[in-house]
Amino acid sequence: MFKKIGLAVTFSPNSMALLKETKVYSEQFGSEVIFIHVGSKNDAIENRLLELISNSGFNPESIHIVWGEGEPAKVINAKCKENNVDLLIAGALEKEKMIKYYLGSVARKLMRDPYCSLFILTEPSVEPKPFKKISVQVDYSYESEILVNIAYQIALREKSTEICLIREYEVPGLAITVYDTGSTDETEKKRKVWHCEETEKMDVFISELNLTGIDVKGICLYGKEGWEANNFVKKNGSDLLIMSAPSKKLSFIDRFFQHNEEFIFKELPCSILLIK
Amino acid sequence: MNLTPEDITRFLIAISVMLFAAKVFGELMRLIKQPSVVGEILAGIILGPTVFGTIAPDMFNAIFTNSKSTDIAIDGITNLAVIMLLLVSGLEVNLSLVFKQGKTALYTSVIGMVFPFAIGFLAAYFFPEFLGIKDPSLTLIFALFVGTALSITALPVVARTLMDLNIFKTQIGFLIIASAMFNDLIGWLVFSFILGMLGQSGHGFDISIIVTSTLVFIAFMLIIGRKIFNRIIPFIQNKTTYPGGILNFIFILGFLGAAFTEYIGIHAIFGAFIVGIAIGDSAHLKEQTREMVQQFVTNIFAPLFFVSIGLRVNFITSFDFMIVLIFVVLAFAGKVIGCGLGAYWGGMKKDEALAIGFGMNSRGAMEIVLGILALQAGLIHERVFVALVIMALVTSLSSAPFMSYFIKRFKNSIDINSLLRPDLVFFTNSDSKESVIEELIRKLSERYKLDYTYIKSEVMKRESIISTGLGNHLALPHAKIKISEVHFAIAVSKEGINFESLDEKPAKIIILLLTPFDHPELQLRLISEISKKFKDEESVKELIESGDINNFITNFKAL
Repeated sequence: MFKKIGLAVTFSPNSMALLKETKVYSEQFGSEVIFIHVGSKNDAIENRLLELISNSGFNPESIHIVWGEGEPAKVINAKCKENNVDLLIAGALEKEKMIKYYLGSVARKLMRDPYCSLFILTEPSVEPKPFKKISVQVDYSYESEILVNIAYQIALREKSTEICLIREYEVPGLAITVYDTGSTDETEKKRKVWHCEETEKMDVFISELNLTGIDVKGICLYGKEGWEANNFVKKNGSDLLIMSAPSKKLSFIDRFFQHNEEFIFKELPCSILLIK
Repeated sequence: MNLTPEDITRFLIAISVMLFAAKVFGELMRLIKQPSVVGEILAGIILGPTVFGTIAPDMFNAIFTNSKSTDIAIDGITNLAVIMLLLVSGLEVNLSLVFKQGKTALYTSVIGMVFPFAIGFLAAYFFPEFLGIKDPSLTLIFALFVGTALSITALPVVARTLMDLNIFKTQIGFLIIASAMFNDLIGWLVFSFILGMLGQSGHGFDISIIVTSTLVFIAFMLIIGRKIFNRIIPFIQNKTTYPGGILNFIFILGFLGAAFTEYIGIHAIFGAFIVGIAIGDSAHLKEQTREMVQQFVTNIFAPLFFVSIGLRVNFITSFDFMIVLIFVVLAFAGKVIGCGLGAYWGGMKKDEALAIGFGMNSRGAMEIVLGILALQAGLIHERVFVALVIMALVTSLSSAPFMSYFIKRFKNSIDINSLLRPDLVFFTNSDSKESVIEELIRKLSERYKLDYTYIKSEVMKRESIISTGLGNHLALPHAKIKISEVHFAIAVSKEGINFESLDEKPAKIIILLLTPFDHPELQLRLISEISKKFKDEESVKELIESGDINNFITNFKAL
């Protein structure tokens, strides 16, 4: 599924946990791992990095560290590109302080403009635990089918109990039709009809994928894309959310006029796998 | 000045009569599937000097015009109604949707505003007397007003039309709504500046101060205000009595915003509108709350406002056929061509672009709000106001039929019954799954000049994942392939073919469905639609027993 995994490695308190998690996923996916360090190269740091990485269980003989200097998110993306990395693993806080959210931490910057698929772990552990419940944000597109298939592969490997497919839909301006009738009966009926249609489409979507051996649920939510998914994942207790990576780089404007991805990035409901 | 008991009685009777007439005529209009606002305006015309005032002038004067205090009270209420109308209009403007709809929405709304604005401005600037200018020294402002009046779109009428045509939750519906929202935002901004230029509002600030304050106000509300409201709304919804707390919050902020813009010199409506946008953007604001605000305003305040229009103006004495004709022609030409071209250049097909053009042509209540404010400000003559009201009615009433006509032309391509072609329905003697699928593919390939091998490989690839025997004698092999339109063919097998259905019944009706690769949702919808047709065992039995193809098609369409 992922041939080459990249891990941005630093000397932060989470480093060992991220290394251990990366080890597990590299074994699960049968992937090669490269370690990216942003900073100037010298023997002392290199030795400390090698020690840290080998202590996490990686074979010291096969450790490959790539170095780069500059703005961390840009360097990490550039190194991923140079080394044909197809999955980057990084840690992130569930919620950043307001200023940092708007200015952008390294993890948020990567999420907003990933070069390749990006696995963001909100609670990496030195004793990695499998994901019990996986949620996937879908819109029935071909890309959604890929997301669900990845979720399925992960779920089988992690022995997850449930995959939940989330479809969000909204009809902006619906409330304004009340203007004409003065009654909410019609809008209520219309919402019910749309909900039935969405549920039927979801049923067909799930049956078309024919995922056996695991409980696959479909949930259709009326409301803002991203916002509803975030709330649902929190309530449902999913520990991994799989979604498409932003189709274009998210800018400062997107943080002010939040939509889909930014509703999720603002306060991560759990670990996130962005597929590109 | 205090209201005497007699004034209060008169005021209450006037309000009751207005509300009653508005409701009766509004409901009548809904019965004939027309916007209720049309009925409310008609109610005003009948209650006002045009009809009631002519037939029974004494009674008309006794109820509506005999007391200055009552006039002021009614005027206060109608002003409040306009502010509330703009507040609820703002609540429904979804800026994210405008961004999300991208190029097509941008082209539709920008060209759909610039073009009618340009023709309106030029016509009014070079031929002001033909359009009934009141004060020739205000030609530039009058021309700006006419341009704006022609470029505005009524979001409520558009929403209603989309709902009635059942295309609200479609790509074209989203596009029209997003364009109308953007249109509203720019239209009200320009109009507020025009009123500011007239110096009718505010405290006589210099135009540069008015412009700067307005821009600062917009920026503050849409950037910081939005964020603050978004944090406060969940607290209010959860910690105060619902819906009282949140309704209070919305109206207090709306009135404060209105007061601010009135103070700086642009009209109060603009402040309410911008505050509406800032509050409405909150993901925390419940849909139920939005609808409740709409109900509150549109059941009481909006009807009073629309009825009051008819009370102010005599539509017969102020009727000028030439001005009406010019406004109607300019309105149609400006919007239909402007929005149509915008949508077409934005990537829509011809029929879709025309449907969008006519959809965006409805002016409805917003045009009338604009007209009444211009009339109050002394910018336009009553003749122009009447022309604007008639233009608003004509464009609103014609919007749905025209839109429906063009929508039907392209909607046919995604309706399963209208896709049915007699030459693609046949009885088969095939006795295996593979041979019937091959037969169906051959039919479609010959009919539409498709690549037989490519389709077969895609259909069989899909079939290998899980059988498409859906039960109740239906099999639905399908594939998403590189085509631009949906194609399907039906084979009827009297003997039945094993399609490994879960109910173990042999498939007697085999439908091959090919959908465009880039419309995955369409495939899901059609599969779900076809499956639903086959739920009733009796109807399916009747269908299978159809003696000939024509009979089969009739029965299939009736399922």
